[in-house]
Amino acid sequence: MTARYLAATTVEEAVAAMAAGARPVAGGTDLVVRARQGSAGLPPALVGIHRLPELSSIDGPDARGLRIGAGVNHETIMSHPAVLTAYTGLADACAIVGSHATRVNGTLGGNVMNASPAMDTGAPLVCHGALAVLHGPREVRRIRLDELWTAPGQSSASPDELLVSIELPPPPGEGGLVTASAYVRLQYRRQMEIAIVGAAATVGVAQGEIQQARIAITALAPTIRRVPMSEEALTGAVVGADGRDPRGAADIETAARLAARAARPVSDVRASAEYRRAMAIVVTRRAVITAVLRATGGRVPVPASDTTFGS
Amino acid sequence: MSRHAAPTVPPGPFIRPDGREKVTGLGRYAADLTATGQLHAAFRYADHPHARILEIDTAVARAMPGVHAVLTHADVPDVRYGGLAQDRRLFAKEKVRWEGDVVAAVAARTPEQARQAAAAIEVRYEVLEPRSDYVANLLPGTPLVHEDWASYEADANLGRHGNVLGRSTVVKGDADSAMATADVVIRGRYVAEACQGAPIEPRAILAEWAGDGVTIWSSTQVPFAARSGVARALELPESRVRVVVPLLGGGFGSKCDFHFEAHVAALARATRRPVKLVFSRREEFIAPDHRREGMLIELETGATRDGRLVARRARLVLDGGAYCGEGGFFAQMAAMHACGPYVIENVSVEALLVYSTNQPSSSIRAPTAPQTCWALEQHLDEVAAALALDPAELRRRTLIENGSVGPTGQVYEAIGAKQTLDAALEMIGYGKELPDDEAIGIACGWWPSFASPSGAYVKLNGDGTATIVTGALESGTGAVMALPLLAAEVLGMRPEDFSVRAQDTETGPWDLGSTGSQTTFNNGRAVIAAATEVRGQLLDLAADQLEVDRADLELVDGVVRVVGAPGTQVTIAELAGIGKVLIGKGSGRPPESPPVDASACVGRLGMESFLAPQLITHAAHVKVDRDTGVVRVLRFAAAHDSGRIINRIGADGQVYGGVLMGIGQALSEATWFDPTGRQRNPGLLDYKLQTASDAPPIDVRWIEIDTPGAGPKGSKGVGEPPSVPTPGAVGNAIARVIGRHVALLPMTPERVWEAAQADGRPPDGRPPDGHGQADGDATTGQAVR
Repeated sequence: MTARYLAATTVEEAVAAMAAGARPVAGGTDLVVRARQGSAGLPPALVGIHRLPELSSIDGPDARGLRIGAGVNHETIMSHPAVLTAYTGLADACAIVGSHATRVNGTLGGNVMNASPAMDTGAPLVCHGALAVLHGPREVRRIRLDELWTAPGQSSASPDELLVSIELPPPPGEGGLVTASAYVRLQYRRQMEIAIVGAAATVGVAQGEIQQARIAITALAPTIRRVPMSEEALTGAVVGADGRDPRGAADIETAARLAARAARPVSDVRASAEYRRAMAIVVTRRAVITAVLRATGGRVPVPASDTTFGS
Repeated sequence: MSRHAAPTVPPGPFIRPDGREKVTGLGRYAADLTATGQLHAAFRYADHPHARILEIDTAVARAMPGVHAVLTHADVPDVRYGGLAQDRRLFAKEKVRWEGDVVAAVAARTPEQARQAAAAIEVRYEVLEPRSDYVANLLPGTPLVHEDWASYEADANLGRHGNVLGRSTVVKGDADSAMATADVVIRGRYVAEACQGAPIEPRAILAEWAGDGVTIWSSTQVPFAARSGVARALELPESRVRVVVPLLGGGFGSKCDFHFEAHVAALARATRRPVKLVFSRREEFIAPDHRREGMLIELETGATRDGRLVARRARLVLDGGAYCGEGGFFAQMAAMHACGPYVIENVSVEALLVYSTNQPSSSIRAPTAPQTCWALEQHLDEVAAALALDPAELRRRTLIENGSVGPTGQVYEAIGAKQTLDAALEMIGYGKELPDDEAIGIACGWWPSFASPSGAYVKLNGDGTATIVTGALESGTGAVMALPLLAAEVLGMRPEDFSVRAQDTETGPWDLGSTGSQTTFNNGRAVIAAATEVRGQLLDLAADQLEVDRADLELVDGVVRVVGAPGTQVTIAELAGIGKVLIGKGSGRPPESPPVDASACVGRLGMESFLAPQLITHAAHVKVDRDTGVVRVLRFAAAHDSGRIINRIGADGQVYGGVLMGIGQALSEATWFDPTGRQRNPGLLDYKLQTASDAPPIDVRWIEIDTPGAGPKGSKGVGEPPSVPTPGAVGNAIARVIGRHVALLPMTPERVWEAAQADGRPPDGRPPDGHGQADGDATTGQAVR
């Protein structure tokens, strides 16, 4: 049972409470559900962070990119014009988190700090080059997300550091480069799903050729991680003006297989490791193809997981 | 027959009056009730799925803050209970036989204190090897789940022996000889996992004593069975036990039978306080001795080139789990479904219901039928393929019709099996061109109607409204959707004029409850009889008042009037207001089971005779993602012969819900046991129900014919059949896309993907690692002569 609860009005107040042992709560979609399921119950002290203005807005886009407050919910993010156009992979992910109720209550910051290897927003954020802005008692620091997560449910943030926002740098666009992204996950049903396997891709295409690529995989390793080998395989791939050049398709297949090779899947009640590894190829292929199509003028509606079903 | 018997315009479908309070959250369910001074209950469950109890020490728990009582087997009468076999006690005594066996119960001031005290009870065990593999439990020499089975009270027809709780056969002709003469023989081996009723409302119970009687508010589907269970387990006269059901938040069978009412009543008696038990979602999965049975289904069919089914042999093994519950009849019911609604010349089916140390099986919506039908209908598609016949054509040639003789010698009269086939094919657009990753699958099934005694009172209120007092239970059963319509028609009133007092053992006559699709079928008869008495009283009063012959009167639109002289009338409200007591009672005579010739069958428990059988054809249009094995049902058609439909809105609702439940069983719903019999997914994150977003458009058509033995106005049951052929239709559609049948249920993405990968290879049918099933080498195949 929670004996102490404080609804913080400033970041400093929240951080002080956290330094004194309180756990932060915003939407509560992970914290409350876990407390009901498990034996531990709710933590003894909670600090509500839903009233902090620093956490509640999306700023930009501008020359520094886009800054999303940690307390912004998934529904807001998935319908934000800048997210839909410049960070489409994040919109793909936010649109399929849990149910509508989860998306309205659950926040991006909660999703990130929960550090689940199955979190949907993680892979696209990593591909977008996101930085976590952590506010501690003494300093504010920025850390790349794939360095933030250290193990399932664990991050390198200390207990008195509050995630204030996620910073997304502007997508590369110099020299005629068109950058686009996508996130695809395997889903057994259309709502209320948790990622069994997922992959995000960001590609920068110029003159019908992939010049930059980022691939990250979800629920396929202890933490969400990038796959540099896949990214290398894509770099230089000739996808053509419409993104459908067969030469590029071969490179995309190679990249997808390398992503599966990099996976360290587990067997559990949701799927066997063998199936997860096979599905890593499928979702990576679909994520890259979708990102390439989006970079070459194709329209692939959000969320890509629904759009690419059976493709 | 009086030409004045019916009102001019029969009342039409109407929307349920309790809908608003349910959807707005104003409705009160058992968990919403609070009694002054109430304590909270928590259970201590078995710490091992199979173990001998050596010692239970409750001293520490009793001394904990807030604790008022800790009960074990030593604190209640030493009584066994159960359906056809009485094999369970309230609290485990010598042994625990599954992870949900209740060892002790605590009542404390707060739920947290109760749970902490339950955890603090010290139980010493001698751990025994789990017996989760129910098929292996048939092997000679396997240690027994119930060592003392022979000493239990039980129905002699069960055919119990050791770990076999029930054995039934259906035998017709000489299947062995006929099989040898068949042009084509097809064999199949299918394995279905266990699954759950998964109601939205986890169960809750509140018990309060007054003097030497106890009132129990419980989320049960069967208040009278719950009352009997409490009386038996606590050795009380039934008259001292009252069971009241507030609004029920679904059950789907899982809240049939007596479960936890006596535990809570015993705690309330011990503490002299009201005690309340509210299950967590996890407990709702693990603790009830009530889930759908896992099954091994082996089928063999011999057919002639022209599509006659000359022989069926089958062997079915059902996981009964640790206790009988009310599922003792499962072997025979499964055996009937291994025959299905087809003309088969020779039959030899054996079904075995086997004890294991898994959660006990009991009735979930149409028990045993969806799995067996899923196997049989896929098997029949293989027969059709071997005969180079379209699956629909094979069914058209073999489905039962008027005059057909069934596997137990029953002669079917006036049934609409073939009409349901034609209707489903038409609705789904069978035969149309589809993309190569889409296909249509069909399946046919059947389900009996169940006769039961039932009773009702109808009383007319002074303001011209009326109240139906019934023992029936409302969970979509027709108690609120059909009974007022039936009474309104008799009395020339509007259904909206009736309120329904139901689900209270102290108020209504005895009723079987929300089980066996029986409420409208039986209670409707009682309500018509009761309303007819009131009608007679109204006619007498009106005849007096209008000074006319009673025979010249009719009841129409809320008035009693002279036929042909509508000016001469008196309103029912006026008659109700003159101070006479207008009250009727009724029960009617239940229809009798049709005769059978089943002398060659053993394990006869009454299922050999299908009263007013309901016939069903489902057609599923699916799309398969070949790369992932994910299946989506794009469109669904359901054609049902459930006799005459009383309220189309309510009946359609049953089909929508039943089909979605069936799609869940087809594609995603399973209780996965680990090798020791513990549930691996006791929660809604990993027990994958279909969501509203997954629901396809469902077209419904009712084939309304008058079958002998039907219920009121020619109605049959409605509630259970809608999930019977659904998994089979989905399975056949999947097989048409990927080229082979998935012989494991549910047909999860991983299993469909595996089957699709295995294209051209002989099937190995291994279950995926992720689902860790010990028994799963299901296969299908054929031998064509």
